[in-house]
Amino acid sequence: MTSTEAGTTVSITRQPNAAAGRAAPKGRRRGPRRPPGLPWILPAFIFVVGFVYYCIGYTGYISTLNWDGVSPNPQHVGWANYVQLFHDPVFWDTIRHTVLFFVVTFTVQTAIGFTFAALLHSKVKLANLYKVIIFVPVVLAPATMAPIFRQIFSATGQFNTILGDIGLGSLEHPWLAQSSTALPVIMAITIWEWTGVTFILYFAAMTQIDKEIVEAARIDGANGLRVLTRIVWPSVRGTTIALAMLSVIGALKTFDVPYLVTLGGPNYATEFLGTFIYRVSIPQAEVGYGAALSIMLLILSLAGALAFGLRGMRRN
Amino acid sequence: MFETMRLRSKIILQVILTIMVLPFLFPLIAMVQESLAGQGWDNYKVVWDTGVVPQFFRNSAIIAAGVIIIVYCLTMLAAFGFSKLHIRGREIYFWMMLAALTLPEVVLLTPLFSTAIHLGLYNTYFAVMLPLAALQIPFAVLLTRNFVNGIPDELFDAARVDGANAVTIFWRIILPLTRPIAAAIVILTLIGAWNDYLLPLVFLQTPATQTITLLPSFFVSEFSDDQTKVVASAVITAIPEIIAYLCLQRLFERGLTAGALK
Repeated sequence: MTSTEAGTTVSITRQPNAAAGRAAPKGRRRGPRRPPGLPWILPAFIFVVGFVYYCIGYTGYISTLNWDGVSPNPQHVGWANYVQLFHDPVFWDTIRHTVLFFVVTFTVQTAIGFTFAALLHSKVKLANLYKVIIFVPVVLAPATMAPIFRQIFSATGQFNTILGDIGLGSLEHPWLAQSSTALPVIMAITIWEWTGVTFILYFAAMTQIDKEIVEAARIDGANGLRVLTRIVWPSVRGTTIALAMLSVIGALKTFDVPYLVTLGGPNYATEFLGTFIYRVSIPQAEVGYGAALSIMLLILSLAGALAFGLRGMRRN
Repeated sequence: MFETMRLRSKIILQVILTIMVLPFLFPLIAMVQESLAGQGWDNYKVVWDTGVVPQFFRNSAIIAAGVIIIVYCLTMLAAFGFSKLHIRGREIYFWMMLAALTLPEVVLLTPLFSTAIHLGLYNTYFAVMLPLAALQIPFAVLLTRNFVNGIPDELFDAARVDGANAVTIFWRIILPLTRPIAAAIVILTLIGAWNDYLLPLVFLQTPATQTITLLPSFFVSEFSDDQTKVVASAVITAIPEIIAYLCLQRLFERGLTAGALK
């Protein structure tokens, strides 16, 4: 699911263009009348909208039931599932984890990705090798990498070995077995997997910065750091906003890593909305409650996308 | 960004970069190391001899190919319609589709589950392929529409004056000219479909249909948690992905930045 999100980042940076195209419908009056386009869009429209809205409607209906998913006559309970949700401490835990996860992963990915992009624009040797190393994690499925991360951060894993080797043996720790460190490990894994996207988008954005402005600033005596903070960073602001939106949606969608590495544990310490919905709906077969949680997740995703999407568009 | 520099600062940058990249390399090295622990290369032999690895690969390939075909066909048709043809209220249709971009897969679980069982699609490729395609199309349409917007209208007007109808224009102008964006979309869709975990986890229940993202879990039960073999199976699944990326590096990177760059 994650790599599709990679794509979604850019949507926002492009929408203003689409909007601009709309504002000026050039050629519509001049040329011959255009053929009808409805038949062309209908296959995709019906497939996507029919599918998605059918599923959302169905989920909305199920969320008013007390149902195990198989019994022939589920019981209607109205808003009870939503009431239960607001009183469920685990639900609030997942929200807290999601917010924390978003803030940390977004900040760290932005810092690392931006720095990498700037460094790799500086005529360093072996640039492509570094690029490949940063980008390979994006291509690998989180599910494929999960077993090795479980191993690395286990009590006898390589991470503790390295800490021992560099003289930080006192920090050795069963990282995944302890509530306080399990969530940071999940964040670290996500950062490892996704910084490549942040990096590649910043790298692309930086190639579009006008070289003359950078040159002029340098002639005026600005050093590298100043150029970076005063010229480069403001110029890639569109990318940063797009990446923030990506991270919000990504944080809300988080499933693979916590499910496979810690199963949401220990003691719900790494439970996210995705893993919680899965746990409630499938192993616990409380389908109605799972559906209510799904609707909450949907509302939060839309709100997150809108908040950042609108900011991105107003800017333009 | 820092082009005019002394040798000393160049070396410092190179060292900083190398130190920063090490954490990214570390899990990959640890992975190879772990897969060779215990019985060494025999771990790979044991994993391979189970004979299921090619089967999981085949399933992933079939699903990814199916998703790519559906996404490509529907996207091209829709992008042409949205960009160059007359549709009353077209932005409403467009935004209704785009709203699906934010949809988390997990929201679809219950409805899909009962629908798949009703239609007899449970544990078939279609149960994974169709939802994946539906979730990938909105973004593909967004990218392609923007790309097609960049093709000058005069080209279409001229073709119409010469008597070409919409179908001819689609075949002769749109499909050839959209190849660059189509390549980006194929790559994006490929990564999305190939790496997906949740849908196969829920809908594919036997090794005959399961995809490579389920391979580690399969081996966890097969080798009762003999980590080295599980990790060896992960290396086997990772290698083709890394090779594909290295061979098509530019295409992968362009696929992910498509839209950020013209």
